Amino acid sequence: MIASSARTDVAPAQRTETELALAGLWRVVVLNDPVNLMSYVVLVFRKVFGFGEVTARRHMLEVHEQGRSVVWSGLREKAEAYVFTLQQWHLTAILEPDETR
Amino acid sequence: MKRVEVKLGLPVVAPLLDVIKRTVDDLNGHLAVPQSLQDLDEELGAAWKGELLDGQNKDCRRFLALFDSEFFVSGMVVFDDDNAESVLRACAAIRLRLRQRDLEGLPDDVLEGAGVDVAKLDEAGQKSYMCYVFLATLQELIIQHLDAAILEG
Repeated sequence: MIASSARTDVAPAQRTETELALAGLWRVVVLNDPVNLMSYVVLVFRKVFGFGEVTARRHMLEVHEQGRSVVWSGLREKAEAYVFTLQQWHLTAILEPDETR
Repeated sequence: MKRVEVKLGLPVVAPLLDVIKRTVDDLNGHLAVPQSLQDLDEELGAAWKGELLDGQNKDCRRFLALFDSEFFVSGMVVFDDDNAESVLRACAAIRLRLRQRDLEGLPDDVLEGAGVDVAKLDEAGQKSYMCYVFLATLQELIIQHLDAAILEG
C-alpha cells in the first residue's frame, strides 16, 4: 500500500494549507459503471469493507440505481487506502470531503 | 483447497483468446479504470498509478496462464483459492477495456440488460462481445463456487 510519507517536502506555509485541506473526514464514494457484474461488486464490498451480504447488496443497488454510493467515511489516510483497494478491483472510486459532520 | 475444474469448448473459446490477448496487450501501461483521485501530488500520483498497473499486469498474466498448452489438449481450466482473486480482477479489467475499445457503440442500458442484438454487430464486434460474455461467465462461476475462499483470503 502506498504510504503518505511518499509525499514530497513542501514549504511550511504551503504544508499548513495542505494539512488543513486534508484534515477532517473524507468519504469513499463508488460510482456506477455499466460493465462490472452486480455479484462482483457485492463480493468486492464484502471483501474490502467486511460488509454482510445485505449491506453490500444495498450499497451495490445504490450505485446501480443512483449512480453512486458512499461506502465509508473517516480519516483521509484510511480513505485513500480504501480507494486504492477498490481501484485494484477496477471499481470507480473517488474521495470527497465529508461535510455532513 | 477447493478447486473448480471447468471444461470449455475448445472450438468456441480458442478463437476468443486472440481477442483477449490483444486486449491484455492493449492494457499494458493503461489502467482499465483511469484513476480519479484528486489532491494527490505528482509523485504520489505516479506511485499510486504504478502500483495499480503492476497489480493489473500480474493479474492479467495469471489469467492468461490458464490457457497453456495443457488447455489446448484438454480444454480444462482450474480455479482455486490461489488464483481466484487474480482471475476475477483480470476478467474485470479485460471486460472494461473491451467495452471502451470495441463495444463503445452499445448504450449502457443495452449492455447492462444483456439485450445486445449480436447479429447487428460486425464480425469483430461479435467476437468482442462473445469475449465480454465469456469473461462474465467465468466471473460468475468463481463467485458462485469460491466466494468463501475469496472473503477469507
